[in-house]
Amino acid sequence: MSATTTGIESRSAPLRTRARVISNEPDGRGRTLRLAVPGWPGAIPGQFLMLGPGAEAGVARRDPLLPRPMAVYRDLGVVSGAAEPSIEVLYRVVGRGTTLISEAQPGQSIPLVGPLGRGFPVAPGPGLALLVGGGTGIASLYELARALLRAGRPVLVLLGARSQDDLIGRRDFEALDLELVCATEDGSHGVAGRVTEPLAERLRRAVGEASGASRAGIEVFAVGPTPMMRACAGIAAELGVRCLVSLENPMACGFGVCLGCAAPRAEGGFSLVCRAGPVFDAREIAWEGLP
Amino acid sequence: MSGAETPGGAAGVDERVVLAGIPLRNAVLTASGTFGYGTEFAPFLDLTQIGGFVAKSLTLEPRFGNPPPRIAETPAGMLNAISIENVGVRAFLEEKLPALPEGVVVIASAFGTAPEVYAELVARVSAHPRIAGVEINASCPHVKAGGIEFGQDPKLLAELVRTVRAATQGPLLVKLSPNVTRIADMARVCEAEGADGITLINAVQAMEVDVERRRPVLSNILGGLSGPAIRPIALRMVWQAAQAVKIPICGVGGITDASDAVKFLLCGATAVQVGTTNYLDPGAAAAIARGIADYAQRHGFARVADLTGALDARRG
Repeated sequence: MSATTTGIESRSAPLRTRARVISNEPDGRGRTLRLAVPGWPGAIPGQFLMLGPGAEAGVARRDPLLPRPMAVYRDLGVVSGAAEPSIEVLYRVVGRGTTLISEAQPGQSIPLVGPLGRGFPVAPGPGLALLVGGGTGIASLYELARALLRAGRPVLVLLGARSQDDLIGRRDFEALDLELVCATEDGSHGVAGRVTEPLAERLRRAVGEASGASRAGIEVFAVGPTPMMRACAGIAAELGVRCLVSLENPMACGFGVCLGCAAPRAEGGFSLVCRAGPVFDAREIAWEGLP
Repeated sequence: MSGAETPGGAAGVDERVVLAGIPLRNAVLTASGTFGYGTEFAPFLDLTQIGGFVAKSLTLEPRFGNPPPRIAETPAGMLNAISIENVGVRAFLEEKLPALPEGVVVIASAFGTAPEVYAELVARVSAHPRIAGVEINASCPHVKAGGIEFGQDPKLLAELVRTVRAATQGPLLVKLSPNVTRIADMARVCEAEGADGITLINAVQAMEVDVERRRPVLSNILGGLSGPAIRPIALRMVWQAAQAVKIPICGVGGITDASDAVKFLLCGATAVQVGTTNYLDPGAAAAIARGIADYAQRHGFARVADLTGALDARRG
């Protein structure tokens, strides 16, 4: 139902498999789940997977029923000493499904379908890439930052959260060769206030200082709560900068059949977040129609 | 994933069934609205390993569905209010059908707002050589009668089935709503008007509330409940319908594994449809088909068809 083609189509068909839990550790108020995934083909930054609501138990679980969409946080490949590729999922315990996922023990298996959806387009060039992550949206940005760095782009990452402990994944970003700005609403770490404030300031400065190709190539990549992404889209639009977002609508399947994740399009009608997205150019979305 | 450990050693069991005149290689179909147009499942499932699939309900013109939120999880199930979003009959016949591999049994699903609209749709799809049969979705809102459902009014249902029957010689299934007082009456209407089979049940009308926001969770307020939560209701209705009519029944509602599917067969279904489970395990339908054959073998049934109605319902 969609003409959207902003996101990059997958290189390989999704797997339907069981992932084995390697570790499942707290990271501030979030958790990092490391999984061994036999046959994992690698994901494009921004792609996601559907993860069963908890490890498989001796008795089949029927409640909660649906898998949870999760960003591929770190795509680790085959790490030394391992037989299978591994990936990481960065998540927060917000309900029944994520509570069960948080209880998954090393060695247990979790049903997994993925990689799914279209990922972020990564173009080389001198234009600054400003990556804005809020809450669990941070999880979609780590591999994107690495891919942009590999493409030779200057990268600025801005992470926002309520408090220091909510800045999940912060230490992993600190280990990358890029500039990192953190904003917390309570001022416990980094800039006090919302992440959109440093974004507006840094974007204005970048646009003012740049010219030619480095001016035209500036992009904002925003992933987080809908109001945050909408605000980022507004800031970028005002300065004539392209803004890419990754939507997080609820979905039951992740591969285009439940039709539950429809997002309203600016031109009318809907796009499925799971197939046309989750990555969209912010201008494609009718933001006022998102719940 | 349930497929990985299911033994495939049911040699000697005849898995074939005939549903509404449609020969199927096994008794497992997938339910309309949960299986897209089939191709979405190609990465997960060999479409020739299932009996067939019922495609997303079609309307004469392409149709967008409801605004979000369209779905919500509920205990052992989910709510949806998509509202027949589909590509329209033309794109289905010209683009979706040719993309499917040969040998896949496709049952089209038709939705309309009036009997004549259903009839036109059914005539168009059933004329296509790749369409094995048509299921009419008689369980969604009926605009002409002011929101009442075809499947809830025996007179409207009779008129609908009669009109559609006149439009096709091909296999015709009627998918019934569970939102009725006496399902047996609705089944009898279908049989009397010449339907070749009935499919039941569609989703159970339901709602859910977000207490913190004091709002319904769905933009449409009401939705359809599906998943394991509704399976015992579906089973009861299949049982009651099977007592009432001789035409074959396709049982659907909350089937997650072969054991669930066998229950429907025992209660009188000739075949089953797997629905919501396709979302969480897109390979489930093929595993369920293998599991039914295993069950038949373990219990000494030479043919899966012999499981239909094999429930021992004597008291005590």
